[in-house]
Amino acid sequence: MQNRTLEIGVGLFLLAGILALLLLALRVSGLSPSPSTETYKLYAYFDNIAGLTVRAKVTMAGVTIGKVTAIDLDRDSFTGRVTMQLEKRVDNLPTDSTASILTAGLLGEKYIGISVGGEETLLKEGGTIHDTQSSLVLEDLIGKFLLNTVSKDAK
Amino acid sequence: MSADNAYAVELKGVTFKRGARSIFNNVDIRIPRGKVTGIMGPSGCGKTTLLRLMGAQLRPSKGEVWVNGQNLPKLSRSDLFDARKHMGVLFQSGALFTDLDVFENVAFPLRVHTELPEEMIRDIVLLKLQAVGLRGAIDLMPEELSGGMKRRVALARAIALDPQILMYDEPFVGQDPIAMGVLVRLIRLLNDALGITSIVVSHDLAETASIADYIYVVGEGKVLGQGTPQELMNSQEPRIRQFMTGEPDGPVAYHFPATDYRADLLGKR
Amino acid sequence: MRKTSLLERIRRFGHAGIDVLAAFGRSTIFLFHALLGRGGIGGGFGLLVKQLHSVGVMSLVIIVVSGVFIGMVLALQGFNILSSYGSEQAVGQMVALTLLRELGPVVTALLFAGRAGSALTAEIGNMKSTEQLSSLEMIGVDPLKYIIAPRLWAGFISLPVLAMIFSVVGIWGGSWVAVDWLGVYEGSYWSNMQNSVTFTDDVLNGIIKSVVFAFVVTWIAVFQGYDCEPTSEGISRATTKTVVYASLAVLGLDFILTALMFGDF
Repeated sequence: MQNRTLEIGVGLFLLAGILALLLLALRVSGLSPSPSTETYKLYAYFDNIAGLTVRAKVTMAGVTIGKVTAIDLDRDSFTGRVTMQLEKRVDNLPTDSTASILTAGLLGEKYIGISVGGEETLLKEGGTIHDTQSSLVLEDLIGKFLLNTVSKDAK
Repeated sequence: MSADNAYAVELKGVTFKRGARSIFNNVDIRIPRGKVTGIMGPSGCGKTTLLRLMGAQLRPSKGEVWVNGQNLPKLSRSDLFDARKHMGVLFQSGALFTDLDVFENVAFPLRVHTELPEEMIRDIVLLKLQAVGLRGAIDLMPEELSGGMKRRVALARAIALDPQILMYDEPFVGQDPIAMGVLVRLIRLLNDALGITSIVVSHDLAETASIADYIYVVGEGKVLGQGTPQELMNSQEPRIRQFMTGEPDGPVAYHFPATDYRADLLGKR
Repeated sequence: MRKTSLLERIRRFGHAGIDVLAAFGRSTIFLFHALLGRGGIGGGFGLLVKQLHSVGVMSLVIIVVSGVFIGMVLALQGFNILSSYGSEQAVGQMVALTLLRELGPVVTALLFAGRAGSALTAEIGNMKSTEQLSSLEMIGVDPLKYIIAPRLWAGFISLPVLAMIFSVVGIWGGSWVAVDWLGVYEGSYWSNMQNSVTFTDDVLNGIIKSVVFAFVVTWIAVFQGYDCEPTSEGISRATTKTVVYASLAVLGLDFILTALMFGDF
């Protein structure tokens, strides 16, 4: 009967919509049904955080272990304070680890890479990474390059 | 104050304005119960507006509309819904629901207003269609029907709930002689057989006069005259005379108002 | 020849402006009566299904075909432009973001206004001119609930669904062009896309946009049909108005929504 085909058609239509939504969620935006892992907070102070944004990745050895949750200016030291949430299972970072702001690819976005130090004491919840390397600013690079060439010519 | 039992519909002091224009000014019309009453007049005089006022599709700016002892403009939504059970309307174009077949069209009012079981609905639909002579067309879609057949199905739908008042909006427009004859016969037959009150709005003089018991002639925002068809034929009132005899020139002038003819021809144009 | 004085022109202009305001007011009251108040959706679930079919399912073909083609063109053009920066690998995220944030909701809404919107206006206008709406009233059924409400809800539901389908087929179409034809590495097409497309920012915002568009387009389409002059000329004028007003509204709202969602407020 005509009514049945209509209903089946509409049902398939709505099903296609839900399927599209799922596809968009999983395959296109990479939303992964990951269990909400426990995290702990770390701070890091940078002279220049240029280009780093909230929600940027925090990686170690290229593996994502957390993300940036806040960026603000520290009034007293006039440096940028970055707040990060790291996965609890990576809780064995020595206190002298380094945090650097790196660029993904040539035009890519900024992210934070952490490299381990050698100390025995470990960073805990609310701890601070003191050894930091700021974002590479293009103008400084060009300046450095020119300075080098000038001093070479001067020799 | 409820209406007289002799009158099914009463318009008392009804004024209807559309914007600044006054379509009707202090009109009094009484439709006698159980009879066929015609409402006639020149085009654009607002005959259809009168029907809509009677059916409470429009509200009068002033005055009362009494139908079956109820003042319609004052009714609540649900009371109006119930009142509609007792009125049937046949619109000019039939107005069948194009996505439903003939059976579903006629059954529609039954489904809306009653909780009758399917078999009963089927019986009633068959009855009504038989009355208008279209029982065989029960499974057709409206687009498969001729104009005249559409109107007859619409009529079957209008009487589905056995209303006390039937209103016909220009039923004779554009019909061939046979279809015309069928309709004229049906209107009179239904009125007498079912004991209902019929109101026919039309400007078809011959047809209406042949079946109406009483006629109202309306124009210029008021009732120009009323009476039995015979009385109106003998009327000396100029506007009614012009309407009844179809004189091209009279109170309704032939020429649209314009400046002096000579001046127009000889002057600058 | 009649000379219209300046005063006359100003008067007419003001009159037209008041007409627009009056129409807007009417359409709001109309919407209110159709969606709220007792009666729910007249005709029940069955009528809604019927409308979903005629409004949503019937629009599928044009949406899917357009989606595929637009996705393919995006990939093609994107590849061209990105290769001058040596960033061809980013074509995946470019196609996905463009579709999800902008083209998906907007183009689907425009196509919907043209296909389903004009059909709704014509259908309702036709019902008005053949006095079917008056008949319903006289039988005691509220045409706003029985005819208008199911069509409104059908539009509200269908357009977001269509927009999502549009984006999905567009992204797939883009992948055929980028991966199979232009030689972009399949892995990078998808992984770059997954890395840069966020569910909350991009997918969800796109869906919110298409819901807003659905509301506006269906409302305009249905009102124009209900409010039109009950003549054939009136109906054709109303259909044109639906397409024009709906399209302008979609584009205008898109700017406002984009500014709110992706601007930095």
